[in-house]
This record gives sequence, structure tokens and C-alpha cells, in this order.
Amino acid sequence: MAAACGRLLEQAGVRALARASAARPAARCRCFSSSGLLRVNNGEPTKFQPPPKPVVVDKHKEVAERRFLSPEFIPPRGRTNPLKFYIERTDMIQRRKVLNIPEFYVGSILSVTTADPYASDKTSRFVGICIQRGGKGLGATFVLRNIIEGQGVEFCYELYNPRIREIKVLKLEKRLDDNLMYLRDALPEYSTFDVNMKPVPHSANDEIPVNQLKVKMKPRPWTKRWERPKFNIQGIHFELPKEMMEEAQKWSMPWIQFDMLREYNTSKLEKEIWKEVNEELKK
Amino acid sequence: MPGWGQLLCRAGGRLLAGVPGGPVQGAGAGAAAAATGNRGPWCSIVRHINSTTWWDEHLSEENTQFLKQVTAEEYRAQTASKLCPLKDEPWPLHSWEPGSRRVGLVAIKLGMIPLWTKNGERHAVTLLQVKDCHVLKYTPKEEYNGKTATLIVGGKHSSPFYKPESALEVFREAGVPPKQKTTIFKVSDNAIIKPGTPLYAAHFRPGQFVDVTAKTIGKGFQGVMKRWGFKGQPASHGQTKTHRRPGAISNTNAGKVFRGTKMPGKMGNVYRTAFGLKVWRINTKNNIIYVNGSVPGHKNCLVKVRDTNLPTYRDCNKNPPFPTFFADGEEELPEDLYDQEVFQFTDPSVTYV
Repeated sequence: MAAACGRLLEQAGVRALARASAARPAARCRCFSSSGLLRVNNGEPTKFQPPPKPVVVDKHKEVAERRFLSPEFIPPRGRTNPLKFYIERTDMIQRRKVLNIPEFYVGSILSVTTADPYASDKTSRFVGICIQRGGKGLGATFVLRNIIEGQGVEFCYELYNPRIREIKVLKLEKRLDDNLMYLRDALPEYSTFDVNMKPVPHSANDEIPVNQLKVKMKPRPWTKRWERPKFNIQGIHFELPKEMMEEAQKWSMPWIQFDMLREYNTSKLEKEIWKEVNEELKK
Repeated sequence: MPGWGQLLCRAGGRLLAGVPGGPVQGAGAGAAAAATGNRGPWCSIVRHINSTTWWDEHLSEENTQFLKQVTAEEYRAQTASKLCPLKDEPWPLHSWEPGSRRVGLVAIKLGMIPLWTKNGERHAVTLLQVKDCHVLKYTPKEEYNGKTATLIVGGKHSSPFYKPESALEVFREAGVPPKQKTTIFKVSDNAIIKPGTPLYAAHFRPGQFVDVTAKTIGKGFQGVMKRWGFKGQPASHGQTKTHRRPGAISNTNAGKVFRGTKMPGKMGNVYRTAFGLKVWRINTKNNIIYVNGSVPGHKNCLVKVRDTNLPTYRDCNKNPPFPTFFADGEEELPEDLYDQEVFQFTDPSVTYV
């Protein structure tokens, strides 16, 4: 059947279609119809298969490359010598050349395989949602949370630890907050993720989807008073009475946004570091 | 009556000193000299807060700029001239013997970084940068204490304008710009180095052990709980105004407070040494030493680094570069020197078999 198709295609002289069918030898040889070809499918009339749509690449429109700089590259504010950060960065870049550390945010679902001397096959794999990214430089960490057999488990991994074999992003997305520690007080369904879930494809230049999910909480008391303005949490569906929410606003400090000593503008630093890191990674 | 005379002289000296303000070293010395009956000038010239001056107070702006430029150029030329010590009539080089002590370095504490070994263990290391380290002066053992010779080593460059002339003389003799910190290293006779030789981080090698001395972070006047770790008193249950106090300072039988009793006072800003720190890695390009653990002092402070005196690590410090590492020698070192156990980031990830 495949051979017959092939001969027909040769007769028709349509090279593109031959390439398409040759690329998928295992699939059923579906002859894409065009005006000259016969439909061969055991004599039954085949459904009309439209030709594949041509992908139009508009070269005039420049695709804006998303500039993502991992937050641990940005040095914290302090009186440290920039040379120390530079040396740390060279080490971080070296490690990134060996292990691919993908772009991810708090709220993305990751799977991490590490080398474990005590496991039977010397590796251990953990899948979870990233609830926090902390630390700067080589000591940068991220915390993954999942609920396994009813027990909530959190793992704090160091990004540059040489025991990490692979970091895979199963689902790249952002959430409404930078810190999802409140998932510990949320209903368990919001922290359960399938350990064998398939990676959700994500193209390189799309915007990162922001999951507008508002999480429902377990009954109070919580580990922290998440309703207070200090945490500034957008991602909880508070079902608290109005008086409680207003009382929580007593602890708001609206003058902080005007405090000039707390300002730390990292835009220039980010650009320089992004340039440096990209150039080194390309080498 | 001699007592009255002394009192009058002291009072006179204090009057001259005038308003409590500027340091009155001159007045103090003058008053003391008069009090002992020297019959010297009973009022000496006193540096008062109204008469202190600084180097460019009476200079015009042009002159200040000019002086700054000239000194900067001169010091750049001096550092450049000291780059090839082996060609500059070095003093005789000897080889290392067990029992010989060699010079140390003055380094800048940059900060701390994690470091992983090939087994996957994580250690915290301190980065020490060796910047503009030169040997300044050699004192033979006869002049020092009769037993060991010493070498004075200086650290980071600094401006000459706020230094006393006596210090500047030492730097001028060595032919080297003025330094921020100078330390004395006791050295055996076969390890003496000509003044003016630059010292580099490669003086130390990975796998050897090192002692680091520096001034601890100053905490100011601190109470007994922070300074000595006392437990204090409970916060409630009837304690009247006593929560962080020392409690008892002595007993009835003694009838006195012994010298050295732990009490509140100034804490920190004291020289302390961290012993037996392993050197994990040396970066020869930026002259950085990666030293295990923490080191006293704040970030960017100057520390004194020397080979360990601990007997446990005597075997690990064998055959170091002796008397020091010369950059213009034949030995060409790679950019990074690692200890055997250190995980280098160019290697693939750690796996267990």
C-alpha cells in the first residue's frame, strides 16, 4: 500500500508531498488530494483532506526576543565589591553551559532529577510547583511543593548544586504572586500535581501566561496571617468577613511606596548583566 | 612645696588646652614634663581644634589636582617597575626545608560563596583578594628580638596625604606606593625577600592550610548578654527592671571584684585569628584565594594570611613556593588552581556509582 502510494506520487511528480509522506513512514499513507491524484483507499470515497496551510513568516516584523535574566544574577544592594559578583557569575555561566537551567517563574511546574547516593538507581526525581525562588549568586535556591499520597512535601533545591542532573519545566506559567507559601494553608487540591504529567509545550517567544487562579484556603488559623497587607497576596480567595479584612488593613504601611531609601533600580544593571551573560553563554 | 608646683603646672597646662575639644597631646606631654621638674618650656605648642589642618587646606584647586595627578602617575610607575623582581638583583633564593617559615600576605576579604566537592558536599568559602601586596622592609634578627628575622608586608594602595611622614619614609625606601595596612611576619633566615617584591595569590596553593588574622566587626558598647553570652533574666514573673543585667559579679568571701570580670564594654574591633583554614582554590588572574569557612572582619576589610602554625597540618604545607611565587619566573600557572576534591564547574554533574 505504501509502495503503491509512492509510485503514484512519483508519477504525479509532487516532491513536497513525497517528502511529507516519507517523513512519516509509520503513519498510514494518506495521499493528500490535489486535482490530479487518484484517491486510493480500498475503493471507498475518502474525505476531502485540505492541503496544509502555508506558514507565512513575515520577515519585516521583528520578533521581539524576550529578555529573561534569572533573578539570582542580579546582585543585592550592598557594599560588596562588584568583582565578587563577577567571579560568581563566571562560575554560574560555566555551570549553565553544562546543565541547561531553563527559564521558570514562581508558579511553574518543574521536574528535577538529582543524583542520590542512597537511592537504588542513584537518582531521585521530584515534580512540584515552584513556590519560592530565593538567594543570589551560586547559592540561589527554589522550593518545589507537591502532595504525595496525602502528605505535603516541599523540596528546596540549589540551582547550581552539581548533584542536579536535570531541571525540566513541565508547565511554564506565572501566578498572581511572587511567593506561593500560602499554598501550605490552601486546600490540598491546589498543591497536587501528577508526578507523570506530560510537559505542556510552550513556544519561545510567546508571553508567559499568568494564571489568575484564586486559591481557596483551609479554615483559619493559618501559618501566617495572609490577609495582612504586608504579604500583598492577590492569589487567595478570601472568604473572611468584611470586618476581618478591614482590621487587617490596620497594619498597612502606605508610606513605604514613597520611601526613597528602599528604592533599588536594577534596570541598568540588569541590561549589562544580561548582555554579559548572553555573550558568555553563546561562546 | 613641690606638690603645689606640680598642681599649678598641670592647671596651667589645662588652661592652655582651653575648651575640651581637640586632642591635646602636646599639652599633656608639656604638662607632664613640667610636673616632673624638668623646667622645660612650661607651655608647649598645642594642636587645638581651631588649629588643625589638612594637606590641601591652603592649596589652590589647581595645585591639589596637580599633586593628585603627579602622585598617581608616580605610583603607577613605581608599581610597574616592581613587576619583574627576579631581574632586579633579587636576594639569594633558598629551597624549602621542614621548619622554615615563609612570608604571608595581606588580602582583602571580598565575601563568601558556596563551593561543592566531587562527593556533592557543600562548603562555604571566603574569597580573599590579594591586591598590590609588596614586601616593604627587612629587619634582621639582631634588631628584632635576637631570634627571628621579620619582613614587613603592605597591602592595598592608599593616598599619601593623610599618612605621617615616618610611615611614608618606609614606603619611599622600598620604592612602593603607600599602603593601607602593614603587618609584620616572622620569617626564617632562608625565606627573606628583597623589599619591593610583589606578592601574589599563587604564593599559597590549594590543599594547604592557612591562618587568617583580622580585626573583628566592631559592635560598639554592648551589654553583657551580647558580649559574653550571659542568660539575663526572665521577661516576666515579677522581674523589676532586670532583664539583661549581669546579676552577681562576685561573692561575699572575696569581698572584691576580681580583675577580668565579664562586664559590659566595647565589643569587636579586636584582632582575632581563624586557625587551620583550608585553601580550596586559587584564581591567578584576579589573585583570589578561596579559603574554607569564615574569616573575622567585615567585607572589604584587610586581613593577614599566613601558613598555619598548627601541628596537625604541618604535613599538608610541604614544598610550598619558596620564598614566594615570582610572576616573572619560568613557572606558568593556569588561570585557576583547584584542590583535588573540588568540583569544577566545567565537569559534568556529580553522579554516584
